Amino acid sequence: MNRNLRFVAGSALIVAAFGYLMYTAIRETSSYYLTIQEFLPRKAEYANAALRIAGRVAPGSIDYDAKTLRLRFHLTAFAEAGAAADTVAVAFTGIKPDMFAEGRDVIVEGRYADGVVQARQVLTSCPSKYEAKAAAAAPPGGGAG
Amino acid sequence: MHGSDLGTLALQLGWCLALYATGASLYGVLAARAEFVHSGRRAALALFGCVAVAVAVMLHALVTRDFRLEYVASYTSRTLPMSYTVAALWGGMAGSLLFWLALLNLSATVVHVQNRDRHRALMPYVTATLSTISLFFLSLLVFVVPAFERLDFAPSEGSDLNPLLQNYWMMIHPPALYAGYVTVSVPFAFCVAALASGQLGDDWIRSTRRWTLLSWFFLTLGNVFGGAWAYEVLGWGGYWAWDPVENAAFMPWLVMTAFLHSVMIQEKKDMLKVWNVSLIILAFALTIFGTFLTRSGVISSVHSFTQSGLGPFFLWFLAAVLVGAIALVGWRLPILRSQNQLESFFSREAAFLFNNLILLGICFTVFWGTVFPVISEWVRGVKITVGPPFFNKVNAPLGLCLLFLTGVGPIIAWRRATPKNLRRNFALPLACGVAGGLVLFALGMRQLAALVSFSLCLFVAATVAIEFYRGTRARQALVGEPAATALAHLVSKNHRRYGGYVIHLGVVLVFMGITGSSLFKEEVQATVAPGQSFSIGAYTLRFDRLSEDDDPHVAITRAEVTVLRGDRVVGLLWPEKRFYKRPGQPTTEVAIRKTLREDLYLVLGALDPPSGLVTFQTFLNPLVTWLWFGGAVMALGTAVVMTPTAAERRARAASPAGERSPSVAEEG
Repeated sequence: MNRNLRFVAGSALIVAAFGYLMYTAIRETSSYYLTIQEFLPRKAEYANAALRIAGRVAPGSIDYDAKTLRLRFHLTAFAEAGAAADTVAVAFTGIKPDMFAEGRDVIVEGRYADGVVQARQVLTSCPSKYEAKAAAAAPPGGGAG
Repeated sequence: MHGSDLGTLALQLGWCLALYATGASLYGVLAARAEFVHSGRRAALALFGCVAVAVAVMLHALVTRDFRLEYVASYTSRTLPMSYTVAALWGGMAGSLLFWLALLNLSATVVHVQNRDRHRALMPYVTATLSTISLFFLSLLVFVVPAFERLDFAPSEGSDLNPLLQNYWMMIHPPALYAGYVTVSVPFAFCVAALASGQLGDDWIRSTRRWTLLSWFFLTLGNVFGGAWAYEVLGWGGYWAWDPVENAAFMPWLVMTAFLHSVMIQEKKDMLKVWNVSLIILAFALTIFGTFLTRSGVISSVHSFTQSGLGPFFLWFLAAVLVGAIALVGWRLPILRSQNQLESFFSREAAFLFNNLILLGICFTVFWGTVFPVISEWVRGVKITVGPPFFNKVNAPLGLCLLFLTGVGPIIAWRRATPKNLRRNFALPLACGVAGGLVLFALGMRQLAALVSFSLCLFVAATVAIEFYRGTRARQALVGEPAATALAHLVSKNHRRYGGYVIHLGVVLVFMGITGSSLFKEEVQATVAPGQSFSIGAYTLRFDRLSEDDDPHVAITRAEVTVLRGDRVVGLLWPEKRFYKRPGQPTTEVAIRKTLREDLYLVLGALDPPSGLVTFQTFLNPLVTWLWFGGAVMALGTAVVMTPTAAERRARAASPAGERSPSVAEEG
């Protein structure tokens, strides 16, 4: 029994170390995952927090410089109805993803500061047939970066 | 009658047969009516026939491009090459379920033929379990996502397979992974049978040992192929992004790895029975969970099929499997208890136990990270995601502990290792590891994680090398054979043990590849005009020109890039941008120059036609090739372990009933 107790103690130690590792890792690496509708009304609350925001690229908002790779655009709600709907500006430096275009659903990863989402990454979702059907009903799935 | 009606009919008939096979087998065994057991078995065989017909009908429709079928119209086109047209069988929702069902029934049929005269007490339950799984997938195909749904008009052209899937890995990665997933069902079914019949010796483990290995073999290949595919196609310079669907493939692999090790403790010491039963139940549940993840759309992912409404069905099935299995385990708990217990931390039993704890820890980390958004939304009302840094942070230290145990497990003594035993077995390997670490440090390597990882790799490699060396020397001394012959005989007499060592060598190579490519990666982004150069590491890359290619299926823009080291030309690379016309989708084709030392990974990032400028994204990924090579070595080792030795073949021939073939092996 004594021996068993030792193993239980040893295993408990491992589990505790493991739990601590998980806890700190989650605290340091997690980010809020929001749709643009959830984000816009409460953007002040999310200032400087790590974010993933799903939204649609606002028509006519893309400004891309192929030499400096600076990409700026506005993210807007999925619904077509409110054409003049609220948007948020996004700034990104890097290669424009293949599928990136006006009206496409994207996920932007980064931080929100001074009225602009500084994106680390812009993910596009696939426009293939089966995805498109779903996108009409719900926020998009992710896509290859 | 349209051909597809035959497919629908086959699935409906299959559904009835699966139901009957389950019912008849259970009634037969419970009421001791042998004729029902036989009848159930025959129904299960006929079920395979039905599924085969349905697959044949689907393949025929795909190959003849019968666009009246919605599935064919959705996933193929007239210009799609024939190989991908066949692969479209597993490219879509209904087809992939059908393919899964076909592999499951192929496995079940092999099981039924193998065990025609064996395991009489277990087989009715095995048949019932496998048929129940079939019944679930058939129900989806018959009632929820009809595979042979017809359009009320015949489109002249289909909407084509997703271009990201139009890659040769599409031909081998999904089948390998599905084969791995599906073959977990066989040991699971035998485990359920053992629990239900009360025959809880290690018979069910021995009789499904090769199925377990086969499953592990395919899961290993499936994961490695998946990584290779992502690396070559997605163009972000890496091979593993901790995407939910990658995780879905990785979790069963982890649990099966734990299972493969812990069953050795049961065979040897008659311990861990409850643990082993739980592991295989967990592995099976994770395969269903993985199928759920890819098809429910609950968690967004690169690979997800769609939000199809299938999710709840999978969850209910998963819940039923878990509740049923746990109830069975609870019922049999009194006879599952073991008298033996661990004696020392310094023993093989303990090493294997810790190996299991770590593998499950990694699995739990992966699971938790994958479902975290969903759970946080339940608990806190806001979705919180964890990215790759979370997985890497937790799994890297766990992985290194596991690597250490990979070296310890196979050579530490059973029960209790004496100080003398520890010195004899570990002094030299430890010295190798430490010396290697010091040399790397002297050469200028300063990253602690890399130093630890490479030292451990050397340590494990040394333990394996010493085992081979000692075994060979012992045979030379005993039988007087020359070294090469002795080595060959050594392996051929004990496939489990030496095949296992080969797998561990593969693991070492994989760890080296992961360490090199994740800690020493370089990345350069450059925008250049034709004739201009840029450099990364020791390489200079000169962008020479753009060229175009156009056919009805795809339009290609290709950049020609000359790779130089100093003034010497070492190669040419042609990264591409493609435009697939049918779905109107652009893709990026990576160009990679592979060497043992490092991969030069070149992406044609962006074109700016007005200025003629091209932006390249370039990665220098050290040691990536070692990762693929390590995967191949692991597969090779598994093949050795699976192959019966001459003695095992003789033993089996001598006892055709095969109730218990003597275990020739010491350990695997």
